[in-house]
Amino acid sequence: MPLFLTLLTSLVGAMSFFMALFYVLSRARVFETGPDGPHGRTLVFHWLFFTGITITGSYLGIQLPDGVIANTRAVGAMVAGFMGGPLLGGAVGATAGVHRIWLGGTTAVAGAAATTMEGLVGGLVRLWLARTEGVGRLPGWRLAAGVTVVTEIVHMGLVIILSPHNPDPLGVAETIGPPMITANAIGVALFALVMRDRQRDREQVQADSSARALRAARRTLGLLARGYDAARLPEVARILKEETGAGAVCLTDADQVLAFEGLGADHHRAPGPIVSHHTRRAIETGEVVFADGQTEHYDCPISKDCPLDSVLIAPLSLDGVVVGTVQVFEPRHRRFSSVNRSLGEGLASLLSAQLLAARYQETKGLLTEQELKLVQAQVNPHFLFNALNTVAAVLRIDPERARGLLLHLAAFFRKNLKRPSALATLREELEHVGAYLEIEKARFADRLTVVTEVDPSLLDLKLPAFTLQPLVENAFKHGLAHTLGPGTARIRARREEAAALIEIEDDAGAYREASGGDGLGMRLVDKRIKNLIGPTWGLAVACVPGELTRVTVRVPLPEGTA
Amino acid sequence: MIRAVVVDDEALAREELVALLHEAGGVEVVASCANAVEALPAVRRERPDVLFLDVQMPAVSGFELLAMLDPDDLPRVVFVTAHDEFAVRAFEQNAADYLLKPVERTRLARTLERLGRAVGGPPAGVGTAVAAGAPGAAGLAAKVIARIPCQGTRSIRLVDLAEVEAVRSSEAGVYVMTAGGEHFTELTLRVLEERTGLFRCHKQHLVNVDRVEEILLGDDEGASVRTRSGRTVPVSRRFLAALKERLGL
Repeated sequence: MPLFLTLLTSLVGAMSFFMALFYVLSRARVFETGPDGPHGRTLVFHWLFFTGITITGSYLGIQLPDGVIANTRAVGAMVAGFMGGPLLGGAVGATAGVHRIWLGGTTAVAGAAATTMEGLVGGLVRLWLARTEGVGRLPGWRLAAGVTVVTEIVHMGLVIILSPHNPDPLGVAETIGPPMITANAIGVALFALVMRDRQRDREQVQADSSARALRAARRTLGLLARGYDAARLPEVARILKEETGAGAVCLTDADQVLAFEGLGADHHRAPGPIVSHHTRRAIETGEVVFADGQTEHYDCPISKDCPLDSVLIAPLSLDGVVVGTVQVFEPRHRRFSSVNRSLGEGLASLLSAQLLAARYQETKGLLTEQELKLVQAQVNPHFLFNALNTVAAVLRIDPERARGLLLHLAAFFRKNLKRPSALATLREELEHVGAYLEIEKARFADRLTVVTEVDPSLLDLKLPAFTLQPLVENAFKHGLAHTLGPGTARIRARREEAAALIEIEDDAGAYREASGGDGLGMRLVDKRIKNLIGPTWGLAVACVPGELTRVTVRVPLPEGTA
Repeated sequence: MIRAVVVDDEALAREELVALLHEAGGVEVVASCANAVEALPAVRRERPDVLFLDVQMPAVSGFELLAMLDPDDLPRVVFVTAHDEFAVRAFEQNAADYLLKPVERTRLARTLERLGRAVGGPPAGVGTAVAAGAPGAAGLAAKVIARIPCQGTRSIRLVDLAEVEAVRSSEAGVYVMTAGGEHFTELTLRVLEERTGLFRCHKQHLVNVDRVEEILLGDDEGASVRTRSGRTVPVSRRFLAALKERLGL
């Protein structure tokens, strides 16, 4: 067998040892570094590990005369550079180089210099890839092999230049050059292949779990829009179980289990008290609790026959306060996958964010209520004093009628003082408007006509309280306030397909967009309908200048009457 | 006797005030009007001592009505309103007094006493210290009229200033000319000149400079302008230079 092949097979054979070692170890978490590469203790580990591989490369090399060693040191240094940049590569190369000098021999210095250089070059490849392909990218096997071929040729050059004590440095380079260049290139290429594979696997897993988290988020978004609503949680738990594929999923608030879905549902009843000390620990500390089923077991406190053995409990927090937990279970004999572990934690923070969003919506709703109160307070004095003036005038002519007006006024204010949060029926709304209209009709008796046409089947229709009165008041402001002659206001309620339309119309046609306080009042009414009923419902304004202004309230028909 | 005109768009409020004034005595309500447009001719016709004026009224507010009255016709003004948000403005308008609805008898008596002292004092005008037409009445004079109320045979029209081409005064009254026609108005030529930005081009004519199409220079009689809709408006010699300047010629 020619010397080249003998050397090559020996080198490749030696290298297979740490190739196999690395293949196994590459699954270890310590090699799962982020795009920035290893840091801190991980960095030290990388240095030790690759220095070990590189030095082994010296020992497993083939001893030739004059202390020459045909070796595979390049592999460890180069790969260290790929994984951690010039600093790690240089450090690994230099350490193994110093060791090589300590071993002695005529080509020791040349070998040490070459290994250090190769570590640095590996690091430069990483930096170059970061700029051209993206931070944290690893070289493909072709690039890895190509770079190694070049650096090993340089290595041979260094042997020729830096080995003054060797009788025939040129001959040495001729002998060890071809097998070393080939073996090291193959080694680095194989390492690169394994690393790239691992990276791709990890990305795939991450992409998978991100996709699942996103899907779970999308599906639960609507359910949690109104906050941590116990009625919606069983559905949320079902979705989470589906997306994680876990044995069981449980949702709790800070005091009790609110929903449980999956294995063990026969004895894990919802609603029910929190009995697990794991759950209590998560709620008390606000930190994730993980019982992996190996070192720590779930130990169901309810039933000895419970199949569940491992659990991840992630707290849900709102403004720093734990309001509940998300729990993901796996049964005995089933590994708790790391994907589900990170998915569970991710979902908990996602649900927390949704709860925060729901809280924000709620506050926004409250703000609308406050604003509405404010507007009501602003509108009222004028109406009140004019009404009182009217009563004073009527008292002179017809005391009994004045008494009636005062009662209407009382009814109007009584309804106005009610907290405007809930829904009211159209009937109640019309009563409120009716009391208001009685006063206005007395004030403008000679020139105001009000026509009401309401489909009686709509009287139980629900709409936000205080929807109609501000609109009718606006109709007067836009209508009567602009006509010198008589005016007519119409209030209609009718059906149109699946919607109920309530129209308030005046015959002045003098509506102008956002005219001061009126605009605000209208916007608030619209906002409240959207908040309380849904974003597709609300107000529309149509105006034919000089003829009519029509404000239409669109709300859904009650179920079963459409 | 104090001669008064009452203006309020609510019939009951009007009746109530008239009744209160009657009870108080010493006041003769010579006209009771449902809006500002009705009030314009009433004030010119009756030349009352006092105007009891609601602020919020359809189409033309109480404040706008004041801007439309000729300073020579201007009576003392007492604003009557339901809510005091207008109080400050009322006094900027040099109101003689200010009443809140529902009106108290004693408060009204005080107002009338104050008015009684003033009537027969300095000539009728707004406020206590400022004589009508004096520069101090800037609160009124600065007020720009945006729409001119015009009386049709059976309707009232508010003509936008931009629509006005010219205004002409004759024995029969003041007429606002638009592309569509001529409309009678109760506003005087002087009020329109001072508070609308229409240009005085002739003793009896105002013209809207924005609507002038061309100037026709005639003989020594002076010139005339043609408006966009083809109306011819005479221009006196003495206003010609100023008009040319205004048109940038």
